Amino acid sequence: MSNQAPSAARGPSADNATFEPRIVAFVCNWCTYTGADLAGTSRIQMASNVRILRLPCTGRIDPLFVMKAFERGADGIIVSGCHPGDCHYIVGNFHARRRFRVFRELLDFLGVDPERITFSWVSASEGGKWAQVVNDTTRRIREMGPMESWPRASTALDDDLHG
Amino acid sequence: MKELQDLARRLLLEGRVDIVIGYQQGPRGVRPSFVTRPEQADALIFDERCVHNLVTYLSPRRAHLAAWPRRAVVVKGCDTRAVAVLLRESHIDREDIVLIGLRCGGVHRSAEASGPLTAESVAFRCADCSIREPELVDHLLGDPRPAPPGNSRLAERIGQLESMSHEQRREFWNNEFSRCIRCHACRQVCPMCYCERCIADKTRPRWIESSAHLRGNTAWNMIRAMHLAGRCVGCGECGRACPVGIPLGLLNRKLAMVVDEHFDYRATDDPEVPGPLGSFRSDDAEEFIV
Amino acid sequence: MARIGVFVCHCGENIARTVDCARVAEALADHPGVEFSTDYKYMCSDPGQSLIKQSMKEHRLDGVVVASCSPHMHEKTFRKAVSAAGLNPFKCEMTNIREHCSWIHEDRAAATEKSTDLVRATVERVKYNQALSPITIPITPRALVIGGGIAGIQAALDIADAGREVVLVEKEPSIGGHMSQLSETFPTMDCSQCILTPRMVDVAQHPRITLHSFSEVDAVDGYIGNFDITIRKKARRVDEDLCNSCGACMQACPTRKIPSEFDAGLGTRTSIYVPFPQAVPNVPVIDEPNCLYLKSLARRRKSKKPARSRKPVCQRCVKACGPKAIDFQQEDRLVTEKVGAIVVATGYRLYDIGREQDEPGISGYGEYGYGKVPDVIDGLQFERLMSASGPTGGELRRPSDGKVPRHVVFLQCIGSRDPAKGMEYCSGICCMYTAKHVLLFKHKVHNGRATVFYMDIRAAGKGYDPFTRQAMEEPGVQYLRGRASELYRDGDVVRVLGVDTLSQEAVDIKADLVVLATAIRPQKGIQDLTRKLSVSVDHHGFMNEAHPKLRPVETATAGVFLAGACQAPRDIPDTVAMASAASSKVLALLSRDELEREPQVALVDTANCSGCFHCERACHYGAIEHEEIKDGQGRLIRVVARVNPGVCQGCGSCVAACLSNCIELQGYTDDQIFASIQAI
Repeated sequence: MSNQAPSAARGPSADNATFEPRIVAFVCNWCTYTGADLAGTSRIQMASNVRILRLPCTGRIDPLFVMKAFERGADGIIVSGCHPGDCHYIVGNFHARRRFRVFRELLDFLGVDPERITFSWVSASEGGKWAQVVNDTTRRIREMGPMESWPRASTALDDDLHG
Repeated sequence: MKELQDLARRLLLEGRVDIVIGYQQGPRGVRPSFVTRPEQADALIFDERCVHNLVTYLSPRRAHLAAWPRRAVVVKGCDTRAVAVLLRESHIDREDIVLIGLRCGGVHRSAEASGPLTAESVAFRCADCSIREPELVDHLLGDPRPAPPGNSRLAERIGQLESMSHEQRREFWNNEFSRCIRCHACRQVCPMCYCERCIADKTRPRWIESSAHLRGNTAWNMIRAMHLAGRCVGCGECGRACPVGIPLGLLNRKLAMVVDEHFDYRATDDPEVPGPLGSFRSDDAEEFIV
Repeated sequence: MARIGVFVCHCGENIARTVDCARVAEALADHPGVEFSTDYKYMCSDPGQSLIKQSMKEHRLDGVVVASCSPHMHEKTFRKAVSAAGLNPFKCEMTNIREHCSWIHEDRAAATEKSTDLVRATVERVKYNQALSPITIPITPRALVIGGGIAGIQAALDIADAGREVVLVEKEPSIGGHMSQLSETFPTMDCSQCILTPRMVDVAQHPRITLHSFSEVDAVDGYIGNFDITIRKKARRVDEDLCNSCGACMQACPTRKIPSEFDAGLGTRTSIYVPFPQAVPNVPVIDEPNCLYLKSLARRRKSKKPARSRKPVCQRCVKACGPKAIDFQQEDRLVTEKVGAIVVATGYRLYDIGREQDEPGISGYGEYGYGKVPDVIDGLQFERLMSASGPTGGELRRPSDGKVPRHVVFLQCIGSRDPAKGMEYCSGICCMYTAKHVLLFKHKVHNGRATVFYMDIRAAGKGYDPFTRQAMEEPGVQYLRGRASELYRDGDVVRVLGVDTLSQEAVDIKADLVVLATAIRPQKGIQDLTRKLSVSVDHHGFMNEAHPKLRPVETATAGVFLAGACQAPRDIPDTVAMASAASSKVLALLSRDELEREPQVALVDTANCSGCFHCERACHYGAIEHEEIKDGQGRLIRVVARVNPGVCQGCGSCVAACLSNCIELQGYTDDQIFASIQAI
């Protein structure tokens, strides 16, 4: 997507009916990724707007990732990991919970609706819950419309930004 | 004044420290003073214009001070909280430093101010400050002071911003951040910004774009606020140093309010208190999580 | 420029039905850095893997992306294939377009577009994948077993018999644990001590087992393969080497009325004592708070007055001891042991229903009169009353007046399955041991009556159900479904008021003895030990296994294993099975000189680390060490963080905590994540 010109549906004038939000999900390997696998094995249908990036633990998820995803055109973000007490690394999700509490408040204060970020606990056995998180987030972001207020990176995969 | 100068002289003469960092009269108002020889100690002063947080000169990042590893520094009540964070974050050895505490009744917002302290001229952070005598110090000097006048308008301005819509707030900050010239004065002056290599200077990958345009500016100011959450002691030096006048204090104060409300943490002069990020409670509230 | 190969799998129809695999492969073919892109029906099949290997050679690929199922399914398969073709396995990544795409979407265009996005992100990521090699850690080929009950004994013997050294630590003066207190064991009714004692002796005589009895683990340092254990050997005040176990000291001791822990408070012992005749080691211990001499010393120290007389108080044991083994000067001693693996086998305790509770959520069962009415006892006390080595010599005599009880009431689920006042879990073993108690009682008192209050009968083990049935069908035995509401003493009987929920009738029984099947709880002080071991516990205090199904005897801390009731209520067969399972895990670990670990660990960029140690505070495993950077003259320049790869579990919490991002989690580096975010 990102190395193609933004389609008409993504333009600021697009009405919300045709707007397909782009949502990036940062999920932990052990609970939510496996829960999303289970949703697949159970053939639970869900919106196709979410792109999952796998990380070992929610404790690894840096607010930088969210910032960069917004810069690159994401309209919404999902951060999801193990329920408290179930973290594969015991406490990684507790650290994430504090970090994202602060980050959400900061975004809110900077004028970004924190509702653009879904934070969820989805265990390896909650395929159904994952589908619900995906669908709820997609519906909500679709209603909110494209993320226009964030200063976007306009160019394609700029290697110069990465060098 | 004399007791401060005498103490500085003695510390240098006795070889207890290599340098005394305090305040002196400059060509325009008060400026930081670096006294390495006993005879220079007479230049040291302390008054309502001494707004600078000199604890920033304790940070090991100050390479130009490396030649004087054992440092004495003049601190006000608010400044010692920055010392506490540096101690907590293993950045200074308490044995290596001497803290000269001055009783303080508030300072002007500007080091070039003149006249008595008024509700208009007082620094933001002083207005609701209750620390007249610094803690954690090795020497406590100066006469008892009355409480500073006025009340802080930071909380009021935060309230104003919060009453706006997201779009209005976004516009407000876009307007502020678009003026940022990425001089990084906020970082240079901050006692907490001691990283060997700042995240803004990391190039592989370059998380934060380095040129001065809104996208990189937003990223920089946002991530800096994030990095100061639960660490900022509210000295307001970043805002004072900013050449384009971005109200950085608002961001930091906002996050200080967040960590206070949710994690019951307030900037403290006790280095043993763990920071709010990096610690956690298993029953932290999580109403924002589905 | 990278030379990456993209292999899109159809998974038969599983992916191809909703994703246009050929189009995905085509779309990626033009992507910068992609050298070769293709699709195939089954990538995981032998021909599929050959296709990958072949293409790697033909196109000199330096990175491979397989778009197929979940990496949890086939990551190992494809990395192995890539490795076989001569590329570092970590240069291969998977994109999940089956579970995360084709199976959950019906719109072919959307699913194809999503697949393309996901594969592109993976391609960008692979450009930054580094070749990683497994980490090797040296291993100390010895094991520590904490707890000398049947679990610890079994684990220690299994490990030692296989040729590795074992250090066994037991906090009581003797090993044996709860099993040594039992009279018979269900469902076979063999005598507990008869089967346990030989194993205890085996432990004592094993050349490769070092037994530290009356000792506790004081500190645990290090990590898998390299633990440093500090053991506190509590002052026994009897020299283990000199003592010849003659027992003369106990004969001589004048303090004889101390409630015996081994007899669950029903019998008595002296203040210098061996807990039970078959104790291992069979060396007495002096009970400090009850010894007359030690008490007199303490009094003297307290009063600070000069000793009134030089004549020592008591010390009759010293006089009686031929080999002069008694040493009142002995103090606690710390010994250190190096081990490579740890088995925790700390067992359980019974829920103390009457006395004060140690947790706020538990209110006890004061209405059952336990501790006040002498003829209300718990299951372990009943075991002692039935045991030939018990306080009554195996005759069933009730505590109050020594009479043989004619009617015994058994109450099951006391404290178990009761979220309101006790624990919500089932203690697992009580249905079985109550049935055993009923049969033992009927064996000793032929015409006796037994009434059992139960909630459900849970007897799922081998031979368990016929056993409970046998108890139920015994003449004079009545199983009532329901609970007792109150117990009280009424003359020389205990009145049991309850309800039979099947007939909906209130019951009022005059019992001679009441036995409470109290809940199984973790050992007291377990949290102290789990903290030292960095092992987590559930909210009841039972230790958490690494995975409830697939890693039942491992913990989240590498090198620490679990056996028996420290993990959940367990009966003896399960405990022994678990102990053997844990020892096989230990032996697998100790069978090698070096341990190979996945290289997904954190690495500090020392040049840029500013030594704030935010990482240290974020690390749950204690993997962050302090490293001193010195100049040429050996002067300290600064202290930076270092990750111990043996301890690091690879969660990356330290990375997110690092303000200047100068720790990298290998396999999940900033470069890799950045690249995939940029592309997605």
